[in-house]
Amino acid sequence: MDHIDMHRLKQGEVNLGTSIMAVQFDGGVVIGADSRTTTGSYIANRVTDKLTFLHDRIYCCRSGSAADTQAIADFGHYYLQMQAQTLGSAPAVLTAAAIMEKMCYQNKDQLSAGIIVAGWDKKTGPSVYNIPLGGGLFRQPWAIGGSGSTYVYGYCDATYQEGWGKDETVNFVKNTLTLAMSRDGSSGGCIRMCVITEDGVERKFIPGNELPKFWEGKEVLGEATQKALAAISAVSDVAPMAVEV
Amino acid sequence: MPDMVTLPHSSLSGKPQQRQFNPYSENGGTILAISGADFSVIAGDTRQSEGYSIQTRYAPKVFRLTDNAVLAVNGFAADGNMFVKQVRQRLEWYRHAHAKDMPLRAIARLIQTMLYARRFFPYYVYNILGGIEEDGSGAVYSFDPVGSYERESCRAAGAAQSLVQPFLDNQIYFKNQVPRPGHPHPQHLSLETVIQLVIDSFTSATERHIEVGDGLEMFVVLAKGSPLHGLENFDGVQEMTVTNEGERIFVVRRNLKRD
Amino acid sequence: MLTASVYSNPGFDFSNLTRNNFLSEKGLPLPKATSTGTTIVGCVFEDGIILGADTRATEGPIVADKNCEKIHYITESIRCCGAGTAADTEFVTNLISSNMEMHALTHGRKPRVVTAMTMLKQYLFRHQGHVGAALVLGGVDATGPNLFTIAPHGSTDKLPYVTMGSGSLAAMAVFESNWQANMSRAAALQLVKDAISAGIFNDLGSGSNVDACIITVNHTEMLRNVEMPNERVQKERTYVFPKGTTAWKKEDIKKLVLSEEVTPIGVEAMDTD
Repeated sequence: MDHIDMHRLKQGEVNLGTSIMAVQFDGGVVIGADSRTTTGSYIANRVTDKLTFLHDRIYCCRSGSAADTQAIADFGHYYLQMQAQTLGSAPAVLTAAAIMEKMCYQNKDQLSAGIIVAGWDKKTGPSVYNIPLGGGLFRQPWAIGGSGSTYVYGYCDATYQEGWGKDETVNFVKNTLTLAMSRDGSSGGCIRMCVITEDGVERKFIPGNELPKFWEGKEVLGEATQKALAAISAVSDVAPMAVEV
Repeated sequence: MPDMVTLPHSSLSGKPQQRQFNPYSENGGTILAISGADFSVIAGDTRQSEGYSIQTRYAPKVFRLTDNAVLAVNGFAADGNMFVKQVRQRLEWYRHAHAKDMPLRAIARLIQTMLYARRFFPYYVYNILGGIEEDGSGAVYSFDPVGSYERESCRAAGAAQSLVQPFLDNQIYFKNQVPRPGHPHPQHLSLETVIQLVIDSFTSATERHIEVGDGLEMFVVLAKGSPLHGLENFDGVQEMTVTNEGERIFVVRRNLKRD
Repeated sequence: MLTASVYSNPGFDFSNLTRNNFLSEKGLPLPKATSTGTTIVGCVFEDGIILGADTRATEGPIVADKNCEKIHYITESIRCCGAGTAADTEFVTNLISSNMEMHALTHGRKPRVVTAMTMLKQYLFRHQGHVGAALVLGGVDATGPNLFTIAPHGSTDKLPYVTMGSGSLAAMAVFESNWQANMSRAAALQLVKDAISAGIFNDLGSGSNVDACIITVNHTEMLRNVEMPNERVQKERTYVFPKGTTAWKKEDIKKLVLSEEVTPIGVEAMDTD
């Protein structure tokens, strides 16, 4: 479990208290993330893009410290570009995941980064790699991460099935992230998704007001209480705060 | 807002941490009082703040107690308001028992005992009491939060104390000013001069201290039978006197910068 | 072999770190750095970027400078607003400005905003938040208008409207309620003024005047003190001290003008062939 340890974040550091996810299907992978970046209780960015380009068919989902994960992703991007130039072919997802893992493991004392690397390559086809907080590299059919992920492990275990197509997988990611965002205070905003296949990368954006609806609770107060509350809020000329003279 | 704090000595990670409830906060602002021969001026700004945010632009810190006494409170606003409320209640009891207002020097002593009663859970408040003594002279009493007090003729307290007090020492007590031969420093300043000094103190404190600003409220207490000393010429002066037996109280309000 | 060093190493000098930690453990606090408890903003409009800043610098609760400049020069068409530790924002923008000039000279073309952004974020990340600069970077380059925020730890955000500093919440409230895509120059400037004013009047760390900078494709206009809503009021009294107010013990007058007599011997004209 890659729970974000808030104490490890430095004072005033920008945090991706996040919900991120990647799922592999037959022809490719679907990755997704919420769009919230916070500094304490302030939302520093409500339309963040946490799905970061590493190479043509390889992306990563970032969680943890924004500064740390951006620096790691920038380095990964640079490394893969160099390797693609020297080898003259597109790098494998495993290569990307391995170099990211190396960064996370060797600098574990100074980093707070939980990263999911996902993409498509010629040798393996679609693949998803999870790199939790202190390093480690795990290939999984689906991976979730960030503070919001703890709320939806059960949902994913109960829902995921092998053999899904693109549309079913996109729906799974969308629903899982919506549920995580609704329970986790440091996740929220919109959902960004990428579908990565051999043919290319298709971006999807779901605004906050168009997220799928789940059960949101019902009114527990009785009718009498409701009326009383309505009457109070209907009073227009509320007296200002008393000032002692 | 009062909150849970980590005590500074043991905040190193790995070591045990002590946590404690802190019931106090500091709400900024500045007060000052100056006494003259037959008058007393007590003033305060009206901004109430916490941290970097303004809670209100108008929260009075200067309160009329009787026709001859005015109390300015500064520090933790909640404690200040509650303290003024309790002093007023004690003064009302005194009025019922003795059919007269409590003399200024007695109010000063009352405030001392009320503050010291809370020696080990103090009111987080600096008090300045101004008014007219029984002999008709202007007086200022200043207090620390646990009741130590003294009579002075001039005192500033609060956020900008360190900015205002040296200015007052120079202009009221003529500190660091050598009189010219044949031109001795005046024994008493006029009310007009004092009010000008108070206004300049606050406009200057507003310039250089972030917690001072928004509004200025000046109370002027005049001794029995004293002339108005040109007070009637001030813009928007308002009389606050309740009885018509002697001392009179006026309030003058000014705007201060709001940034 | 040990030799005495006659030069200092490049970069920061940490030689006093142990001593300073010891002193602060003993209860001697470190000197307070001037911080620009600040409101800074940036906003994209139809033909460029507008940056805005207040002009107050503070040392704790004391106003250190009533009219400081927080919009720093990076290149002609890239500018950067700084919040946080004044020395850090000043130094880091100077350094990157210098590197950007070198970059432009070596490549022979106008540098891009992302270049400055990358230099800044890599510098700040390298120092792990110890360089306390929170920046709003904006400019127009070959790719069009660009606007970024850079936090002290080196994370960046790219957004159409941004705020930073202690007044960022007040300013963002204005942006979130009034910002629109493709605003006109006049409307965008008014919005930036309103956002900075919200910071000036509602955040104690911000104050005094509004600075703005309008950057378009071929012109950058620095509007220093475009709004001055907090001018000092007339003092009630004049504080002029008569001559002799300061105490003195003795008088000593020295003649500072020296006269010298010069006798020219065998003057010849200089050979200029």
